[in-house]
Amino acid sequence: MKNDRIRTVMADVFGIDAGSISEDASQGTIEQWDSLRHMNLILALEEEFEVRFPEDQIDQLASFKLIALSLDELAADQ
Amino acid sequence: MKNIKYTEILKRNRLLATTVAGPACRIGVLSNIVVNQLGEVLEYCLRSRGINATVEFGNYDNITQDAARLSDCNVVIVFWEIADALDGFHANSHYMPEPMLIEIKQRLRNEIDLTLSALRSTSLVLFNAFTALPFTADELRASSLDDMACDLTGYVRQQSSPNVLMIETDRIIAATGLAAAVDWRQYQMAHSLYAIDFYKAYATHVTPAIASLMGKARKVLVLDCDNTLWGGVLGEDGEDGIQIGGDTPSGRAFQQVQAIVKGLQKDGVILALCSKNNPEDVETVLQHHPNMVLRDTDFAVRRVNWEDKAGNLMAIAAELNLGLDSLVFLDDSEFELGLVRAELPMVYCVKVPTALTEYAATIRQMRALFFSLSQSAEDRQKTRMYQQAAARRQAETAFTSLEDYLRSLHLQITIMTGQDVPLQRAAQLTQKTNQFNVTTRRYTETDISRFIDSPVHQVIAFSVADRFGDYGIVGLAIIELDQTAGRARLDTFLMSCRVLGRNVETAFFQFLRTSLGARGINTLEAEFFPTTKNAQVASLFEQFGFELTDQNEPGGRRHYVLDPTRAPKTQIDYIEVKAP
Repeated sequence: MKNDRIRTVMADVFGIDAGSISEDASQGTIEQWDSLRHMNLILALEEEFEVRFPEDQIDQLASFKLIALSLDELAADQ
Repeated sequence: MKNIKYTEILKRNRLLATTVAGPACRIGVLSNIVVNQLGEVLEYCLRSRGINATVEFGNYDNITQDAARLSDCNVVIVFWEIADALDGFHANSHYMPEPMLIEIKQRLRNEIDLTLSALRSTSLVLFNAFTALPFTADELRASSLDDMACDLTGYVRQQSSPNVLMIETDRIIAATGLAAAVDWRQYQMAHSLYAIDFYKAYATHVTPAIASLMGKARKVLVLDCDNTLWGGVLGEDGEDGIQIGGDTPSGRAFQQVQAIVKGLQKDGVILALCSKNNPEDVETVLQHHPNMVLRDTDFAVRRVNWEDKAGNLMAIAAELNLGLDSLVFLDDSEFELGLVRAELPMVYCVKVPTALTEYAATIRQMRALFFSLSQSAEDRQKTRMYQQAAARRQAETAFTSLEDYLRSLHLQITIMTGQDVPLQRAAQLTQKTNQFNVTTRRYTETDISRFIDSPVHQVIAFSVADRFGDYGIVGLAIIELDQTAGRARLDTFLMSCRVLGRNVETAFFQFLRTSLGARGINTLEAEFFPTTKNAQVASLFEQFGFELTDQNEPGGRRHYVLDPTRAPKTQIDYIEVKAP
């Protein structure tokens, strides 16, 4: 469920098919994931999950798994 | 748009990119901060308005350098953040000595000169007023950053040509709320000062200006009567029972709204009524109720009957010879608005707020929808001209042949050339005329002025009058001349739809070919560029006796040629042409 939501947000931000995004996706595997769109992705994820990522993590959230992990931690903190 | 999620905007924008057609509107953004998130938000806002917009960006912090490269865009937007005039200026400016600040100011003025000069031929430049508000909102005194922003904004105003529209950045920040407009995290991490909410407000704010440039300005406000122009139901409460003016809060609210609407009419917005009522009852109120601000003569068209409103709105658009997408419809009934939204989605619908105390503010907000780039005296005359048109149509029925009728009108064309051409009106005609327009080239006042000064161009405007009144300046032709070769090319030929059906175009063209022939031109070239709206001039050049030379151009463009010294097929003898 959560992973599907991440996938949808990524698909919307990068303009690619959600089906093509695997859980191994990262900045290295998705061509559209450049530094400008990385900020767009962070804003879109924060809007979707109603969270705010810690500033020192933002640059490191460069893969599907790290994003999912960070969202889990934020959910546990609440 | 305020309530649409960012991802939703991205998604819908991609969808619209594949469906919105029409002339391309290229928008270039110059900035010294990162504003890339504006791109999709603005595209979405314009595309949902039927404008085929694409946004492109100059390089980061390369405003002056990239201005020339982007100057051929239809619109250039300038985001020039004073706080980033130098690296870390928002912080360093606090302790900088005065001479250094003066030096920085002078450097920025020079950069502004260069930028404005590179953009002088761009159709529309949206130049954001400099502001330090995000950095100084809590200060009791103006800081050096405020002073500099104020000085430079004044400088841009002073130096800029009429193609530059200053965007009051502070208004957009105020509409968003400072805390929501600015994103400090993005600012520190990515040099991106503004939040998505700011971009949504910005896009909404500037869309009417871009719509006006692309000939998509809203032009008509259609109003319901009961609980819209006045409080209460006329058919039940009677003329004395409705609330308008007087000393009650609701009477005052409706009177204020009428006053604001009257101001819109003064600015050139055409007013129309669309109400389910007995027409005689409404006429009585419009003519005699002592507290009414709006009178019968303020409305160009009135559809007061018991038929459905979608049909009436279509009839209003047809009568005014305008597209449905130029209409704004104001009504208090969710039912009526729902029907119109469903049947005529291109009509912009506004609901009278349930809380009457908010009514005046709602109407003030609506004013922006009708923004027009060139506001000329012509606009203010419009309602009167449409009324004269109605009188003419009535006279039309008394004649058996159209020619007899046209003869009886005593039509006159007055020609203006060179410096006598009114720049503002000429530019406005190129921006607004969609139907009788063979090439639909949009020009600004600067462009027109350049053509007038050019030795190889001739600009001819004409006004039309008849015995019922003056239509004002309604036609424009721009001709490129190569006199030594005896050749000329018709760059632009357009006419306002107000004077259609009177053979004015034929009489004008008769004049044009004679005057070109007299100057030794024996080859006149012309082009027809089809759009969704100019089908009525598709065979104009054939009617004028031109020969088709090429019709295999992309987009259905057609090329024609004519020898103006040859005698024309038909002659119009009942329209007098007065040339200087």
